[in-house]
Order: sequence, then structure tokens, then C-alpha cells
Amino acid sequence: MRTYVIRRLLYAIPTLVAIATITFLITRLAPGDPIRLFTFGATDLTREDIEALRAAHGLDKSLPEQFALYIVNAAQLKFGNSILYHKDAMSLVLERLPNTITLAVSALVLQLIIGVPLGVIAAVNRGKWIDNAVRFFGVVGHAVPAFWFGLMLIIIFSVTLRWLPSQGVLTVGKDVWDIGDRLKHLIMPAFVLALAGIANYSRYLRTETLDVIRQDYIRTAEAKGLGSKTVFMVHALRNALIPVVTALGGVLAFLISGALVIEQVFTWPGVGQFTYAAARQKDYPVITAGVMLGGMLLVLSYLIRDIAYAVVDPRIKVK
Amino acid sequence: MALLGTLSLVATACGPTGPSGGSTAAPEEKPVAGGRLIEGSFSDIKTMNPMLVADVPSSTVTGKIYDTLFYADPKNGELKPNLGKWTISSDSLTYNWEIDPKANWSDGKPVTGEDYLTALKLVAMSKLTVRKSNFQDIEGWKDFVDGKATTISGVKVDSADPKKFSVKFAKVFCPALVNAFGSSAGPMPTHIFGKYTAAGQADAIDKAPENTAPTVSSGPYVFKEWRKGDQVILTKNQNYFKGAPLIDEYVFKIVADATVLAAQLKTGELNYGTVEPKDLADMEAQQNLKVFKYQALSYTYIGWNVKSTTAPALQDKRVRQALAFGLDMDAVVKSILFGQGTKMVAHHPPASWAAPGAGLNQYPYDKAKAEDLIKQAGFTKGADGVYAKDGKPLEFSIVANSGNKTRETLLQVATEQYKAIGVKVNPKLEAFETMVDKLTTGNQEIQGWIIGWSLGLEPDPYGIWHSSQIPDPAAKKTGFNFGAFTNPEFDKAIEAGRSGNCSQAERKKNYETFNKILNDEQPYNFGFSPNTLLVVPQNLRAIDPGTFSATWNLEKWWFKQ
Repeated sequence: MRTYVIRRLLYAIPTLVAIATITFLITRLAPGDPIRLFTFGATDLTREDIEALRAAHGLDKSLPEQFALYIVNAAQLKFGNSILYHKDAMSLVLERLPNTITLAVSALVLQLIIGVPLGVIAAVNRGKWIDNAVRFFGVVGHAVPAFWFGLMLIIIFSVTLRWLPSQGVLTVGKDVWDIGDRLKHLIMPAFVLALAGIANYSRYLRTETLDVIRQDYIRTAEAKGLGSKTVFMVHALRNALIPVVTALGGVLAFLISGALVIEQVFTWPGVGQFTYAAARQKDYPVITAGVMLGGMLLVLSYLIRDIAYAVVDPRIKVK
Repeated sequence: MALLGTLSLVATACGPTGPSGGSTAAPEEKPVAGGRLIEGSFSDIKTMNPMLVADVPSSTVTGKIYDTLFYADPKNGELKPNLGKWTISSDSLTYNWEIDPKANWSDGKPVTGEDYLTALKLVAMSKLTVRKSNFQDIEGWKDFVDGKATTISGVKVDSADPKKFSVKFAKVFCPALVNAFGSSAGPMPTHIFGKYTAAGQADAIDKAPENTAPTVSSGPYVFKEWRKGDQVILTKNQNYFKGAPLIDEYVFKIVADATVLAAQLKTGELNYGTVEPKDLADMEAQQNLKVFKYQALSYTYIGWNVKSTTAPALQDKRVRQALAFGLDMDAVVKSILFGQGTKMVAHHPPASWAAPGAGLNQYPYDKAKAEDLIKQAGFTKGADGVYAKDGKPLEFSIVANSGNKTRETLLQVATEQYKAIGVKVNPKLEAFETMVDKLTTGNQEIQGWIIGWSLGLEPDPYGIWHSSQIPDPAAKKTGFNFGAFTNPEFDKAIEAGRSGNCSQAERKKNYETFNKILNDEQPYNFGFSPNTLLVVPQNLRAIDPGTFSATWNLEKWWFKQ
């Protein structure tokens, strides 16, 4: 297993280099110059000041030179100083990571505790109205655009009913450790982010469960005279869940990328919102740090998924 | 963000003008302490070091922590003593300052002349500041920047009275007072930042932890906490030299957009914020809110490339004047800004002391006159209703940045109304960053464009209008005089306004000449200057905002229970 992990980590290197290269090219080749944008309207600046600033960020060098420096520094996880914040870009992005992780993990938990039972209930009640309702939700939940759904929830629960806050992570004046207040802020963005996953899991679990309960070993268990509850919980559900567990890794990556939009809607101060704002201002170091962090999380989550897969299903051999 | 010039805005971050609600404290009301002021913003602060500040949110928060030597009268922008008072030598080269005897840092240490010198040294040593040019005319500045001297020889702190200091300039420069003693030169605590000014630690200041967590304050509030991306919390400075503020806490809260901001003002989640004209009626209908309206120091305009070879019609003054007569800007103000703005016909907004009092052509909407001028310029109307000369139609493009609804609408209205006077406009939308690139580098694709200027406390128009600021693609020279307009008399007036006689009266004369030339030549259709619409709760007392400052007396504000 250790060799497997090491080998997988080595495989990750070319992926990350490719991400770094593409990010560099996209940011540099897109129109717009960060220093000109940053100093636009600063009519009391001299051209020398502007050029000195360009040099301080290494943007006066030729593109190939910039690229070489960028790759060497990126290998050491150095992405330079943010043009807007005057601070190390990676540390700025990492400051926002806990908020994104909170949101993504909460969404994941919601997906599992809502999506799995829904799928099972639908399978058990196959063909009845409840099954149809879950299947309908499975299609709608997957198709509804997250940002629109978020805005609808804000209108209902924040503007009309005034039950939940629509913005940020904490009410003004509340202590940072006020868990209750944090949960109130978390509930809507986490649910919106989880929606598509809940819909997916419910459909997935329904199919898997239906598949499993037709298997011979279930019939055997029933024939042995076990109670239907035991048969279902011990034999059926456990097997139906295996593919779900292995899919988790990829889901985490999906959640972190999906958080970008949700963070915008709810002004959730996470990595996505921060990187998006940086992209609008062409703050190269922050854009690359944010994208690379996302890339690393993606690689890591796929690695976890593959390991989990290998652990859960012994038929998968490490090659 | 950054749709207007961001940096020049900083000097007057909250800059307002004109009629306001006035002082609302009735004489019998007795101020009480307590409460929390919560200001809404669309973006987070970037730094709390005034030397590095280059955006409005950071300047808003930093200005409450570090006080400046002078403050601007909210209504007319006149400079008044604050942390310090000053005299200027008869040759206009030396500024003598005396810091208020009561002025202390929040930890009890006195604010001194040495603290001003520290601020300058920090600017000189920072690699990331954009403020260096503000100080370049101070004697000995360059030697210090280049590491040839250990101090700035032009800045002398009185050895007998550490509260007194003098600053000597190598040449007369009228904007010096605002630029070299304003918000980017407020005294910085030597006992905190002094360690970053020692020789051999170039750019240590750029990494100072105090940039994101200031430990002492000279302003009405002290830093408490920055919850990144969410809120910045300040508490009152009990040692503030003008008396401790009545309001306990100031919170700078990030919200998604203007709609959320307006909604949260209504619910009281925010109690200080500026709203868009479309939300004004809704705000005014709220019993618990009041709205202050005053002119902003900014304007949105349509610029003309007066040297364009692809749209040569724009080279002709008569055509440009026709374009002023042919666009009903009052109607635009009414429809886009719901009446909350003023038509502009020259560079300085009426609220500025530098604006000429009278004698400007107001260019009232007059289609006949517009067409007359076009005919005088040698154009004749074709069968398609478009004027043409030498077989070439009177046609040009106007570009605006996409996503800015005000400018997109202005572009739409201009296209329609110019069509009515026989001028064909090809409207274009581009990303803001693309426009910035094309404009500042002098890309000749640009024929007409819509953008805005935010002006500062200092009215010097050199950076926008002097001939030296015309971008030159061949020489890779960038600049803000995008339309390449100039003439000798015009340049002379700008130069005299910054380095001639620095009295306000004399400068005003020069700016009158400057504005009259612009008014006549119309290198821009000067568009309009919007009003700032500041919304606060009905029970907030003592607030008295104006064009040049909204928070100048913040320490006196209080909430009536």
C-alpha cells in the first residue's frame, strides 16, 4: 500500500505542473494588466512609481523569465505577494481555507444524512407515491442552478421570514466561538451546496438498493428467517453503500469547486470568493495560489478515493 | 470595484457635497454613549497601513485608526487643523507644523514630529507603496530613498519641542499640502514602526504584522479584530485627543451587493451605507431611516479621441460641441440617476472650490443647434439621415465597460440621441480591464469611450489633462490623457495651478482658465456627477456629512435611545 501511495503522489506531480502551466498561461494571456488596473485613476503617481511597483512584483521581466521563476517558486509553494493585499498570496488563501472546508464538509454530511435515507426509502417503497416524489426530487434537485436556489432561499428565509441570516459567517457583535450563530449562517449555504449531491445520492442509493435486494444472498438471509430489518440493515444497505463510500473523494473536490458560486451568493469568506475577487482584479499571485490549492485538494481527494476503493473492494489490485 | 479611478479616491474616501440633512441634534437632546456603527461595503479591506492603502475600503477603515494632520471641511473642502496646525513660509517652500499638545497615541505616548518623519521613512523604504511621488520634492528625499543618507534632511524636528517640526521642499508645489501631509503621511507611531526604518531593512515595512493588526491608534477608534472577508471591528479610543467617541464600536461589514446592502439597512443589520439611486425611494419610505444627499467628487463622461485618424470628425471642435448640444444630459440624470446628480460641463464638479462660478456654456439640449454646428463643420445630411463629408459618414464608436449598468444605459441613450442629430454611433462593450489597457496605452482603436473619474481633495488636474500625460504607444508611454487633448494655454494654466502662486484665489483663477478651455473645446462630453446617498438610522445624531468628508466629526456621533 505504501508504494501505491507514493507512486500515486508521484503521478500527481505532472498533473500539478500542468495545472500551474495552464493557470499561468490563462492569466497572462487574458487581456488586462494588473499594475495598470491597480494604478488606474491614480493621477498623482509618476510613471517611475508605477514601473517600480511592476518591478517589485517581477512583472517587468519577459514572459518566459516570469514563467521559469514562477515554476521554480511554485515548486516551493511560493506564489509571491498579492498585488492588492501586499502579503504572501498562499498564506492569504490558506486563511480562507477553514471557511471553505467548513462549508464543503457540512454539505457532504447533509448529502449523506439526507440523500442516503431518501434513496433507501424510495427503494423500499418502490412504485409508491413516496418513490415517485424522491425520483422527482432527484431530477429537479440536480437540474436547479445552485445560485438561483440560493437566492430563492434568501428571499424566503432571510428577507420574508427573517429566520436566517443571508450573509457572512457571524452576526456582528457575536463571539467567534458562538457555535449557534455560526450554524445559523451555515445552514442555507451548506444546504444549497449539498442539493445536487442529495439528489444524486438519492437516485444512486435507490438504484443500488434495488439492485442489492434482488441478490441471492439477500434471499438466503430472508430464507434463514432473519427479520426484514436485519436483512436490510446488515446485508443490503452495507453492500449498497460501498460504491457511495468510494465516490466520496471525488465529491469533496466537486464540493470545493462548487463552493465558489455559493460563497459568492452568501458572501461566505472562503477560498472561492477570495480567488474570484482576485481574478476580477487580475491579482496574479492570488489567482495562482487559489487555483493551485484547489488543484492540490483535487489530487488529494482523488488519491483518498482510490485508496478507499482499494481498501473496500479487494478485487481492485494495485498495479 | 475600480470602475472609477480607485487611488485618487482615497484622499476623500467618503467625499460628499451640497445640501445635506444638516445637523439633526435638537438643542435639548443630551448625547448618550453606547451603541455600534455598522458600515456596509462590497469588498474587504486590504491593509491597515496608511502608506500601503490604495483602495477605498482600506482607506475608510484606516482613516478611523490613524488621524491626519489636517481635516477637510465637509462642505467646501477647506483644510483645517486636526492633529496639527501649520504655517507656510513666504517663499512657499517650508511648512512649519505644531502637533496638538493633547494628541497622544492610544497607549498614552505623545504624537510627535518624529512620528511624521517615521511615516515618510516608511514610504521611502516600502517597495509596495504607490505613494513615493507625494514626497519627491522634499529636500533630501531622494538621498534617503537611495540609501545615501540615514534621514531625510528636509524634515527637521524641533529639539526643544518634539511636537514641532518643519518640512522644506526643493521647489514650490501647490498640491504639497494635501499630498505630503494628508492621509498617506499621517504620523506613524515611532515606538511601534521605528524598528522598520533602520538602515538595511529595505521592505521590512511591507511585511510588518502591524499592517494587518495595528497596535496603537491616533484616531477615534482602535483596532480590535479583522475577521477576514467578513468584518473588521474597531473599539473606541479612550485617549482620543478630541475626546473619546460616544459610539462604542465601529464595524466594517462585507455584504454581497447593493441589493443586500439596502435590505440590511432596512432591517438594521447595517446602520451606515450608501445606496444606489434606484433604492432611494424605498429608503426614504422607511420610518426608521434618513438619507443624506450630496454631490460626489466624481463624474461619468463620454471621452473623445481628438487625434483619432479613424474618426477624424472628432478632431473638429464644432462636432464635439454638437455632441454636447445633442445629448439631453438632464434627462439622462433623471432617468439613470433618478434625478440624483448634476450635469457637468467642465472638469471640476461644482462642489469643488476649483470649479468656476459662472461663465460656462451649459450646452442645453438643442438638436437644431447641434445640427447647425455639424453643418458648419462641412457635413451634409445624406439620404440615410446620417451626415457625411467627402463621402465619409459622421460615424464613430463609443465603448463602455460591460457590467456597469449606468454606463451601459448612457451608451444606449447616447447612441439613440446622436442618431437623431444624424451622427452614427457604433456602441461597444468591453471588459473593464481591456478598456483600461487600451486607454492608458493610447490604443488608437478607441474613438469614444465612457468611464468615470473620482477626484480627490487636491484639485490638481495635471495627471489627467497635462500634455505630458498623453499616452504614446510608440514610446511605450502610458498616461491618463486618453483623448490626447491639449493646447499651450491649457498646459500653462495647469502648470501655474500647481507651481505658481499657491493661494487658493490664484489657483482658482488658473483653474477657471483651464475649465473654460475644456468647456469650449469639449474634449469630453462631461456627462454628470452623481450624488452620494448616505443612509443612516433616524436616531443617529450629530452626523453632518458633506462632499469632502462624511465622518469628520465621528467622535461626536451618538444614538438617541
